[in-house]
Amino acid sequence: MIEFKNLTFKYRAADENALDHISLSLKQGQWTSVIGHNGSGKSTLVKILMGVLTSYEGEIVVGGETLTEENLLSLRKNFAIVFQNPDNQFVGSTVEDDVAFGLENNGVEREEMVERVEAALDTVNMLDFRTHEPSRLSGGQKQRVAIAGALVMNPDVLILDEATSMLDPKGKREVLESLKRIHGMKETTIIYITHDLAEIDISDYAVVMKDGQVISQGDVEDIYKDIDALESSRLVLPFTMAMSKALSDGSYMSYDELVARL
Amino acid sequence: MLSKMLLGRYIPGSSVIHHLDPRAKIVCVVLFMIIVFFANHWTGYLLLILFVVSITKMAGLSLIFLFNGLKLILILLVFTFMMHLFFTKGGIVLIDATLFTIESAGVVQGVYITIRLAMLILITTVLTLTTSSVSLTDAIERLCRPLKTLRLPVHEIAMMMSISLRFIPTLMDETEKIIKAQSARGSTFMTGSLKSRMNALTPVFIPLFISAFKRAEELAVAMEVRGYQGEAGRTSYRVLDWQYKDTLAIITVIIFGVFLFMIRQ
Ligand SMILES: Nc1ncnc2c1ncn2[C@@H]1O[C@H](COP(=O)(O)OP(=O)(O)O)[C@@H](O)[C@H]1O
Ligand SMILES: [Mg+2]
Repeated sequence: MIEFKNLTFKYRAADENALDHISLSLKQGQWTSVIGHNGSGKSTLVKILMGVLTSYEGEIVVGGETLTEENLLSLRKNFAIVFQNPDNQFVGSTVEDDVAFGLENNGVEREEMVERVEAALDTVNMLDFRTHEPSRLSGGQKQRVAIAGALVMNPDVLILDEATSMLDPKGKREVLESLKRIHGMKETTIIYITHDLAEIDISDYAVVMKDGQVISQGDVEDIYKDIDALESSRLVLPFTMAMSKALSDGSYMSYDELVARL
Repeated sequence: MLSKMLLGRYIPGSSVIHHLDPRAKIVCVVLFMIIVFFANHWTGYLLLILFVVSITKMAGLSLIFLFNGLKLILILLVFTFMMHLFFTKGGIVLIDATLFTIESAGVVQGVYITIRLAMLILITTVLTLTTSSVSLTDAIERLCRPLKTLRLPVHEIAMMMSISLRFIPTLMDETEKIIKAQSARGSTFMTGSLKSRMNALTPVFIPLFISAFKRAEELAVAMEVRGYQGEAGRTSYRVLDWQYKDTLAIITVIIFGVFLFMIRQ
């Protein structure tokens, strides 16, 4: 369980709060989508959780423990994150070297490293590429390697910050399939950040952000029904949703209802 | 064009050369850098060429591939050759124009020095092509470990090198993209005076710098969240395993050097 309590954060160079009194609680094993327009504060939120940004107001509680400077490093071990641009997160010059990077930093013994690297690459179906150069892989492959690098740490929580936004549809599908497998296998908590409403379908829970605030949260169905919030969120509504709005009195219709109506 | 550049690239493979310990490879290349200067007449230079060509073959790399990837460096070689051609005097006067003379010593010297330089470039390229940057920096780090007693930040330097090498292909691709985008907007890099060409390049470098800084920042965050805190408490995924064949490689290079030294004239 991760709780954000009244979290407020301002970048030193900025005039306005990047996060404005955010309160959220994310359950263990849940797949949460965080959705919001560009600049709504999604990345800031997870960077605070990862301890990259400090000096915030409010409180973060992870598994009953309040995040402080002292326990930051030990709590961070429960989290792993994959960023948007795969090219900017590789350290190793081969796939397996890169996946091993986090283990090396934590002083894991070599034999154990070899096993864990292999298992992680296998989970994302990239074992055949272990000696390849990351820069020569396709976008989807790169992100799967990055996910393996996160997964190898056996995190309780896997965070993806727009990790599929630079990928083509095929790459996106590959990554989502790997994620589903991981989510199903170990009940890893997933925080999936995106600005594409069409991607929240798979999640158990969704959080809509706008200008540093949470304007809506709940099950995916509830989010879809909250059309007012979505409209004000500056997000692009998926085609079906725009259709259903146009056809009805502005209330939500599920995909089936929509098809029946048409 | 830029994507074909071989600088900083690693080509995975399973040749003998690929499998040598990176420390052995570095020591061999350093020895070769000295040995190159032993050659002082055509047999020596011929042997140097043969040596490098056979190493290239052993590494499973084709010469054509190497030359294609080193085209930019060819300019440097031509320049070296020209310098000697025009400025080294001695021997028979071959061409006597009013502005310059070319003498036989200039031609000979030009050819020799160019071969030397070309062989040095080729051998270091073979080294970087057959050794991943991680192994390379790993090896440098270990070979330089004694320098730590002088308080030199050996690990940090090695890490910096490895990351810089890692980013060369990415930045090359990016440069190419920017050039294309700017050309599409009518920028001209290939025509006009030197000054106008320089001016045309400014819109390439500025976005490139901005993006490089952004990448660096993102990478720093990525490294931090993956637990990187410098060298303390780190283990290494790569094990360097010095074998019989690594010693043999060094001995071979030494023998070659001694032989080259003995046939000097
Ligand atoms: N390093 C920074 N310095 C100043 N302002 C920043 C910085 N990073 C982000 N911001 C601002 O904070 C707000 C939230 O940004 P971010 O969390 O990156 O949004 P998102 O990930 O949802 O696109 C934006 O208004 C952005 O301009
Ligand atoms: Mg973001």
